Amino acid sequence: MIEARELRKSYGDREAVHGVSFVVETGSVLGLLGPNGAGKTTIMKVLTGFHFPSSGAALVDGIDVVEEPLAVKRRVGYLPESVPLYQDMTASEYLDFAADSRGLEGNGRREAIERSVESCGLGPVYRRPVEQLSKGYRQRLGLAQAILHDPPILILDEPTTGLDPNQIIEIRALIRELGREKTVILSTHILQEVEAVCSQVIILNEGLVAAQGRPDEIGDALKGEERLRLRLKAVAGSILELPRLEAQLRAIPTLRSLGELRGESGGRAATAELVFSPSAAEPGELVFDWVVANGFKLLEVERRRLSLEEIFVKLTAEGGAK
Amino acid sequence: MRRVLAIARREFRSSFNSPVAYAVIISFLLFTSVSLFFLGAFFTRNQADLRQYFDYMLKAFAFVIPAITMRSWAEERRTGTYELLLTLPYTESELVLGKFLAAFALAALAILLTLPLPLAVSLLGSFDPGVLAAQYLGVIFAAAAAVALGQWVSSLAKNQVSAFLGAAFAMIFLVFINSVAGFLRIGGTVAAILNWLSLAFHYEAFARGVADTRDLAYFVAVGALFLFLSTWNLSRRKWS
Repeated sequence: MIEARELRKSYGDREAVHGVSFVVETGSVLGLLGPNGAGKTTIMKVLTGFHFPSSGAALVDGIDVVEEPLAVKRRVGYLPESVPLYQDMTASEYLDFAADSRGLEGNGRREAIERSVESCGLGPVYRRPVEQLSKGYRQRLGLAQAILHDPPILILDEPTTGLDPNQIIEIRALIRELGREKTVILSTHILQEVEAVCSQVIILNEGLVAAQGRPDEIGDALKGEERLRLRLKAVAGSILELPRLEAQLRAIPTLRSLGELRGESGGRAATAELVFSPSAAEPGELVFDWVVANGFKLLEVERRRLSLEEIFVKLTAEGGAK
Repeated sequence: MRRVLAIARREFRSSFNSPVAYAVIISFLLFTSVSLFFLGAFFTRNQADLRQYFDYMLKAFAFVIPAITMRSWAEERRTGTYELLLTLPYTESELVLGKFLAAFALAALAILLTLPLPLAVSLLGSFDPGVLAAQYLGVIFAAAAAVALGQWVSSLAKNQVSAFLGAAFAMIFLVFINSVAGFLRIGGTVAAILNWLSLAFHYEAFARGVADTRDLAYFVAVGALFLFLSTWNLSRRKWS
């Protein structure tokens, strides 16, 4: 479990985090989302005991990071954003050093190293010097170091940067699996990553929490409108005339506005995007009745949720404040 | 202690992965032996006396020790591994001690490699093993104090170059300050203070082959002071 209480952190005169609070329970994955400089990395540095908070408290499994930094560090596996590796060591020497630092010995040590080498797919480069490794392998070596001692808490700063799509899928699967028993915090710019991996999201902007909740909750809360995308086909033999179709669409009750409208297959079909106000009672039903009444055939209906990406842009472009 | 050794082992090994360790050892050996035979006029004095040899060792430290210690913290900060070290379960003093041990071991290795020369010279004349032991004791303690100083400078410096220059400057000051005082005929309290500060002043008796506990205490105090300052510096950074 990780808890942040009114966490603030200043670097000199500049306050990077202005009072952030959250709780992450064991068995969940929290995604920290936000533009560069939003305070994601700072929060992670405080939680790992690398920096102390200026005020407020950070607790890891109930242990205060300022009072007992060593106990916190033992529990935490941390992958910093910069992926710090010793260039002059081989991957195996690097993991040996991490194992020494964690006080791992004997069989447990060998198993721990084997396990993390395997789950991060480091086998092919295990004996190679770090300076010869590709960005993807460096990233995975950093992750192997973080999970080496099977920590109850994992803090991963942008864990999938520099990986190719296949590796991203593997690492996300690994994080999801780890998140079942552990408490995981990860930061990312990639919104699909949050939807793919996280059970909880915090969107940060300029050191403040802009939104917090489950990924789908955040979507719902901020949605503001309901969008439906239709593909229609005229009944056999007739042609859809767009101006007429537009007038017909505008007649749908509670429709707020009409998005894109486009004909296809020489007027035999058309695509339309309809925007309803959020209070509208089941827009799907209204659309169905309208299609039946006008004698069209419905080829496709797609309900368009506001993606996290759009929410993110919306939240962080509005000058910061909530 | 096991964790201190884990740091020291990694550090010591990595110093041999770069040319720095070899360059440092070779230049130290060359400088001390060349100085002994040529600058020290060893042959014309016609005396199997090693005092000069140990004097040159201390002078060589002004450049050799900073070359050993310049990397220690500055390089970790440049590459970001500093963040790794400080988030692994080590206390600040364990990190400082581990790094100190590694750099000190390298310096001690360089010093031990000077041993064949005094042993060869000892064949030329009457030889007192007690004197040689005291001389080496002095060099080793002076090296330890200098390593602690150099690492502290490295913990403050932004990069290796400024860590080297800062430590070399401090060492030159500590090694030559008492000679400058003598040269300028400064006397009285000022001279006493400068002497008391000077590494060379406390080293002099050792170089003659006399081990004085007051001088030993000085080296230990200087070493402990800078180890403490490094630790304090690491702790301070967490709050800034």
